Amino acid sequence: MADLRFLIVDDFSTMRRIVRNLLKESGFADADEAEDGVAALQKLRNGKFDFVVTDINMPNMNGFQLLAEIKGDEKLKHLPVLMVTAEARKEDIVMAAQNGAAGYIVKPFTKATLEEKVTLILKKMGL
Amino acid sequence: MDTPETPSNSAPDVHQKIGSLTRQLHDALNQLGYADKLRGSAGELPDAQNRLSYIARLTGEAAEKVLGRVEQAKTQHEYIAAETKRVLDALVKDPVATVAKGEIYNHLVDMERVTREADEHLTEIMMAQDFHDLTGQVIARVVTLASTIEQQLVQLLVQTAPAGYTPAAPAPAPQPAEREHLPGPVVDPENTPDVVTDQSQVDDLLASLGF
Repeated sequence: MADLRFLIVDDFSTMRRIVRNLLKESGFADADEAEDGVAALQKLRNGKFDFVVTDINMPNMNGFQLLAEIKGDEKLKHLPVLMVTAEARKEDIVMAAQNGAAGYIVKPFTKATLEEKVTLILKKMGL
Repeated sequence: MDTPETPSNSAPDVHQKIGSLTRQLHDALNQLGYADKLRGSAGELPDAQNRLSYIARLTGEAAEKVLGRVEQAKTQHEYIAAETKRVLDALVKDPVATVAKGEIYNHLVDMERVTREADEHLTEIMMAQDFHDLTGQVIARVVTLASTIEQQLVQLLVQTAPAGYTPAAPAPAPQPAEREHLPGPVVDPENTPDVVTDQSQVDDLLASLGF
C-alpha cells in the first residue's frame, strides 16, 4: 500500500504541503504536486500515478473539469479522485459524486478525515 | 474690492451647491446607465464585510491554535529535558540500581509517549496553516469587488469630466488569476442555504444518495 503514488492538486502551495505531509504521516510517502488541472493532466499523462487528491476552485482548469478529463480518458479513468475543497454547496458534492469522484472532503479538515477517506477508497478498490 | 462672505452667509449657498451637485451626479449616473452597475457593486459590499470578518476570525483562530499547541509542546520539551537529566544523573551515580529499579525502561516508555504527543502538536500546527488557502480564496473575491468598483468609478469620472479635462487613469490593479465562478469557503453558513458545514454532513448527504 505504501508504494502507491499520489498526485496532489491545489493552487495553494500551503495546502499541497499540508496534504503531502499528512499522507506521509499516514504511510504514503510517494507524492507529486500540481498547481491546477492543466498541470495535473500533464503529469498524469506523462507519469504513473495511483491516486489523485484535488482541490476544486483553481485557475485554468478547476477540479470538476479535471475530474471530467480523467474519467473521459481511457488510460486514466481507473484512477480514484478524492476532492478536498472549500466548496460546500450540496449541489457541488452531489455533482462530484455523480461524475465519478471517489470521495469528497470539505476544508478545513482533519488528519483523521483524510486518512479515513483514503483508506476507505483504497479498500473499495481492493488495494 | 469684494467683501468676503461670512461663514453664516456662505453655509446655505454651499448646501445648495452640494444639493445641486448631488442631483447632477444622480442624473448623470442614470443617464449613463451607471446607477444600476454601482448599485449592483454596492449590494456586494455587505458580502465583502462578511468575508473580511471571516478572514479576521479564521486568522485569529489559527494564531490561537498555533500558540496553544506551541505552549503545550514547549512544556513537553522541558519535561523531556528535565527527565532525561534526572535519569542520566541517577545512571552516573548508581548504574546498577538505576537499571535494576527499571528507571531506564520507564524513562524510554515515558519518552515514547511524550514524543508521540509532541508530534500531534506539530501536526495540529501544520493543519492550522490551512487558513492561508481558505482566506486566500476569500481575499481574492474582495480584491475583485474592490477592483470592479474602482473601474466603474473611474469610467464615471472620465465620462462626466468637464470638457478639455482628462483625468489621469490610475494604474491597473493586479487581478487575481482567472477562474470559474465558484463560491469558495462559506463565510456565513447560518444564512447560506443548501451548504454543508462539516464533514459529517458531507458523508450523510453522500450516504443518502447511495454513494
